Amino acid sequence: MEFKLEAHRIVSISLGKIYSARGQRGGLKLHKNLLVSLVLRSARQVYLSEPGCPPEPPPAAAGHPEEEPPPCPAAWAAEEPPPPPPQDEAGRDCQGPRPRRCCCGENRGGCAGAPPPPHCPRKRSAGERGQAGSPVKKPRREEEEPPPLPPPPPPSPPGEQEDMETGNVASLISIFGSSFSGLLSKEPKGRRRPPLDGGEAAAGTAPAEAAAEPGQICCDEPVLRTLNPWSTAIVAF
Amino acid sequence: MGWKMRKQTGAGGGNDIQWCFSQVKGAVDDDVAEADIISTVEFNHSGELLATGDKGGRVVIFQQEQENKTQSHSRGEYNVYSTFQSHEPEFDYLKSLEIEEKINKIRWLPQKNAAQFLLSTNDKTIKLWKISERDKRPEGYNLKEEDGRYRDPTTVTTLRVPVFRPMDLMVEASPRRIFANAHTYHINSISINSDYETYLSADDLRINLWHLEITDRSFNIVDIKPANMEELTEVITAAEFHPNSCSTFVYSSSKGTIRLCDMRASALCDRHSKLFEEPEDPSNRSFFSEIISSISDVKFSHSGRYMMTRDYLSVKIWDLNMENRPVETYQVHEYLRSKLCSLYENDCIFDKFECCWNGSDSIVMTGSYNNFFRMFDRNSKRDITLEASRENNKPRTVLKPRKVCASGKRKKDEISVDSLDFNKKILHTAWHPKENIIAVATTNNLYIFQDKMN
Repeated sequence: MEFKLEAHRIVSISLGKIYSARGQRGGLKLHKNLLVSLVLRSARQVYLSEPGCPPEPPPAAAGHPEEEPPPCPAAWAAEEPPPPPPQDEAGRDCQGPRPRRCCCGENRGGCAGAPPPPHCPRKRSAGERGQAGSPVKKPRREEEEPPPLPPPPPPSPPGEQEDMETGNVASLISIFGSSFSGLLSKEPKGRRRPPLDGGEAAAGTAPAEAAAEPGQICCDEPVLRTLNPWSTAIVAF
Repeated sequence: MGWKMRKQTGAGGGNDIQWCFSQVKGAVDDDVAEADIISTVEFNHSGELLATGDKGGRVVIFQQEQENKTQSHSRGEYNVYSTFQSHEPEFDYLKSLEIEEKINKIRWLPQKNAAQFLLSTNDKTIKLWKISERDKRPEGYNLKEEDGRYRDPTTVTTLRVPVFRPMDLMVEASPRRIFANAHTYHINSISINSDYETYLSADDLRINLWHLEITDRSFNIVDIKPANMEELTEVITAAEFHPNSCSTFVYSSSKGTIRLCDMRASALCDRHSKLFEEPEDPSNRSFFSEIISSISDVKFSHSGRYMMTRDYLSVKIWDLNMENRPVETYQVHEYLRSKLCSLYENDCIFDKFECCWNGSDSIVMTGSYNNFFRMFDRNSKRDITLEASRENNKPRTVLKPRKVCASGKRKKDEISVDSLDFNKKILHTAWHPKENIIAVATTNNLYIFQDKMN
């Protein structure tokens, strides 16, 4: 169990490093990113192979406590369309803030209510499962060919299912639209566009940035399994 | 008590060198400007010149004063000889990437005439610099005034021959060659061949061979880029030509292996002639085993018989005739092995320490944290830890050896691992090719130490 905790922590730290490497002056350091990805892979293997994985991720105290904002998740959850079961949420989460927007914005009917606040993904508490978009965003950075779709979300009402798939494809398109230069270009945190404008470009970069926030990704096993622990930087090159 | 300890740790007595502070260069204040961070240190072949490169793209060359006959107890001091801006920041518009101006390596060419030549490189571009002295200038032109303005020809009534007159010494640096656009990835090494006509440059995935006179082309001699980048498992971390054999070079990898290649075997040296690798000790396996086995520096001995590699925790000496394990291994700071997770978190585990040989290949030196640096005597098997700090800056005072207490009761004068300052790291050191003079770079200061004479 301790190994699992340590492994989780190392995974979080590693992803944070990969994320922050994007903004580095002089471009991505291939060597360092390769090493980080190797550590990430080892930690992930340990995490997945250890018995007794808790259903909920370990508390963020093991990772980055400062990322936890109490008020936001509640607000976010409240704004979600009528109550998805937890697994459903995880499935939808896999697509990042964009599908949530999909659901709220792109979706014709959907939740006409206020979409989640821009900073929400960052502030999601450890209790929330699965960081938005990790399976989709990770593959975007790691594989040159279109990634396999994330694991099929647990059963949900057919309408929502279709919306999620649409959201999947749409976000994939936008991701590859902005291409790797979007990944490589330095985007200072301050200039992160709110996920609200519904623009494709915003979706291309915002999920990637949101995805790699330390402490938020790989919080649960299904997400972890689909993670290809290959470094962003390597494929970007 | 302190004296006894000093003796036991081998700093005094017998043939051991007693190191004394000589000089320190650089700003005194603790607030380090990033551009002033020293990124490379290199003596030239005679040891008379000492070059440093920094993160701001500047090269500063120090010259040793001629030995003063009256001051027989110390060798000449090093004073600034030339300062120039070698590289500027650039922008790669295609990739939307800034190219850092930081000088990654400097290598001197052997001196062929009055001028000095060195190669300096940043991540992408290598430059050949000529450093020449001017100590006289022509005076007495017919058609020009002394300030250079042209005279009205009608006012010229006499004829004279200009003569050279002495002037204050001026040292000029001019770029003679620029070797650009040959590296997709970040250059980590340059090495001049013993033929003094060619040199190699290595980035993460490729090694190129250049001719010093030709800038518009280079030959790719090693390419480890996989067809599918997802299959990438290792990168090149350092490369060096053999000091005597002009067709032999080695390159080290992030996996802890060293490959020796012979350029006569084929045009593309992807197949190594020798592979040096030590099997991993399974009892030391951790999440970070791969990182700490990554080699950060490789250096041939002057003799060419051995090579030394530096990984995160140790220095290894390899006999070129034995591939399956090093002949000597020295632990630099083994007490850090239990702290690897924290060092991963604060990025220290990625620090790239260099190492160097003394002129006779009997002692090797490398840096550590807390501004400590370590020397290992290969013959006596003794080692010593010294500190580069302004507190020891009385010339000719012998440096006191340091000791880190790994665990348990800390003795007097020892430092505990937890009090080490990991921001004070010595990554770059250099040893004079002939004398016992060493240059040790802390973050933004350059220390010069000498052995105590008589």
